[in-house]
Amino acid sequence: MNLSDSLQSYFFISAALLGLGVFGLLMRRNLVAMLISLELILNSASLNFVALNRFCLADKSLGQVFTVFIVALAAAEVCIALSLVLWLYRKKESINVEDANELKN
Amino acid sequence: MDLDLLWTIQLSPLLAFLLITLLPKALKKTAPMVGIGLALAAALASLKLFSLHADGAGMPQEYMRPWFEISRQSLWPFVEIQNYSLSVGFLVDRLNLLMIMVVTTITFFVQLFSFYYMAQDESRGRYFGFLSFFSFAMTGLVLSSNLLQTFLFWELVGLTSYLLIGFWYQKPAAADAARKAFVINRLADLGFYLGILLLFILFGTVDFLKLEQNVLTQTLPASTLTILGLLVFTGVMGKSAQFPFHVWLPDAMEGPTPVSALIHSATMVAAGVFLLARAFGLFASSQTTLLVILIVGSLTAVTGAVLATVQRDIKRILAYSTVSQLGLMVMAVGAGSAVAGMFHLTTHAYFKSLLFLTAGAFIHRFHTNDIFEIACGGGKKELLPLGALLLGLASLCGVFPFAGFFSKDMILEVLRERGVIFYGISILVSFLTVYYSSRLLFVILFSPARETRHGKHHETWVSQISGSVPLVMLGAISVIVGLQGTSVFDFKILRWLGGHETHLNIQILWTTTALIVGGALTAFFLFRDPALAEKRLREDQGILRRVLERKLFIDDVYQFLVKKVVLKLASLLDWFDRAFVNGVLVNRTSYLILGVGRWLSRVQTGFLQDYLTWALTAGLAVLFWTIHLSSGKL
Repeated sequence: MNLSDSLQSYFFISAALLGLGVFGLLMRRNLVAMLISLELILNSASLNFVALNRFCLADKSLGQVFTVFIVALAAAEVCIALSLVLWLYRKKESINVEDANELKN
Repeated sequence: MDLDLLWTIQLSPLLAFLLITLLPKALKKTAPMVGIGLALAAALASLKLFSLHADGAGMPQEYMRPWFEISRQSLWPFVEIQNYSLSVGFLVDRLNLLMIMVVTTITFFVQLFSFYYMAQDESRGRYFGFLSFFSFAMTGLVLSSNLLQTFLFWELVGLTSYLLIGFWYQKPAAADAARKAFVINRLADLGFYLGILLLFILFGTVDFLKLEQNVLTQTLPASTLTILGLLVFTGVMGKSAQFPFHVWLPDAMEGPTPVSALIHSATMVAAGVFLLARAFGLFASSQTTLLVILIVGSLTAVTGAVLATVQRDIKRILAYSTVSQLGLMVMAVGAGSAVAGMFHLTTHAYFKSLLFLTAGAFIHRFHTNDIFEIACGGGKKELLPLGALLLGLASLCGVFPFAGFFSKDMILEVLRERGVIFYGISILVSFLTVYYSSRLLFVILFSPARETRHGKHHETWVSQISGSVPLVMLGAISVIVGLQGTSVFDFKILRWLGGHETHLNIQILWTTTALIVGGALTAFFLFRDPALAEKRLREDQGILRRVLERKLFIDDVYQFLVKKVVLKLASLLDWFDRAFVNGVLVNRTSYLILGVGRWLSRVQTGFLQDYLTWALTAGLAVLFWTIHLSSGKL
């Protein structure tokens, strides 16, 4: 049996992606790296959609449509986030998240 | 029909007050007309009501509607549960029909006189508005069917009294007098209110008709009844200026004179005596209460009469005289005869308001309150006021056949039956009454009129009529009303009040005649030459004079009490408020919340990842919780 024919293998990959994403989000101090981790989490969700679409759904388009939405959303989000990071860099000469703590106290 | 009349009596003064208050500035001139017209309406309505019930049949009548009910759980847990419900409404019986007639007629005459007296005052509108509002509150008090309703109007009456004493609030003396009256009345009303509350809790009702002596004595123990009676009597002491609360009444003379005539001699201060008669069952159910009432009445009567003998201010003479006469009425009630008290209240209301209006006429004419100055200005040339003064003083002294004779003799008779001490006190008071009345009269009569300093007012015929008609009418009424209690008119007023007929007691007649002659002769001997008497008075520095000048030191005692006790207590409470309420309760609470907040603010580290961790943990917790729940269901 081909590995690519079972739902579980997709779930495993998706879980691994989610785990990596969360780990990166929490451990990295670099804002760009954190954004990349965020993308990983989004992609794990997309992967789930597509996989479930393929194995469990009669209508083969619904999950794909959703995924397209997620991709578009991610693009928009990255667009805003990167501009914020850029602005932060201009201001602080650093993209370390620990330097961005003006709201404390 | 009855109900319509009652509403007319009750609401027309209120309507007058509202109209006068809402009048536009341009129409303020009509305020006296509105007040007088609606007072006339109320007076006519009460006369009509009286004539409808002249035979006294079908009394008492109640027009009640439920006010509120109190559920069983919300009240005292230890007391036997009764049905706590309060009604509000009119109660009409002989007692308050008589009183309402006294109140509305005197109100009308006083309003009419005020038109003359206040003609030059800028704020006439305010004056007539307050006067109408007072009359509304007073009629409400008289027509109330239960103690709580009475209490509400009682307070309103006190408020208008305050407002009218301080009518000329730019004068510091008037403002002080108003405050004094207000504070002393509040103090006394506290007792009254506690009494009503206790009575309501213990007895279950405060309706006048249900406060019957035998029912009360069967339901409640004697000591409780004594306490209840005394608490309610405290309110009476405040309003009716009984010793030691009498100090506000003489000071209240700072108000306009017609106000003194209406509120501080005829109606409001008599409300206390009226209440004594109204809730007589409550007071009569304890002999101790009656004895205390009798003693307080005697103290008041003596104090008032003694202090009236040294005053120079005509209004203050009359004010102390009112205090002493109120004391006599209270004595009569304390001796067990509400009828005698009410009879004297009625006659006193008419002749004392007559006397005050007379004083008002003198003051308006000569711009001074001092009797010696009035006399020098030519007081004896004012024939109408002088005649009215003579009539009023004759009534006050109890000269046969004027009003005071019958009512006062009835009180003397009642007191003679009660005991020799109180009889002696009333004799003394009567003697002093004659003395200070004669003194007032002789000073005005025998002084040579030196100059007429004050030019005559340019008075229109309207204001002349409004200045003289009340004097004539009140004089006539105060003659007639006394005769109502005699065999000439078949003891109408006494029968009406449910009393027995009295016969002319020869012994008392001789006693009073001797008193009148004796008092008048003493006064004549001392004041046949007023100028000399005044000079002698100024030079006299005896101890008696000083004691009387300081008003028996009662004001000083109050001053001492306020300074040493009340202020100390206040500073103690102030400390308690600052240290405990503010320091412990308020500040500690806020410190606690501040501390918790500061501790919780440590969560905010300023690191994005920490927040993310919190958010993810929370999200996971929610997720697990949801899964746990749904699996539990399955």
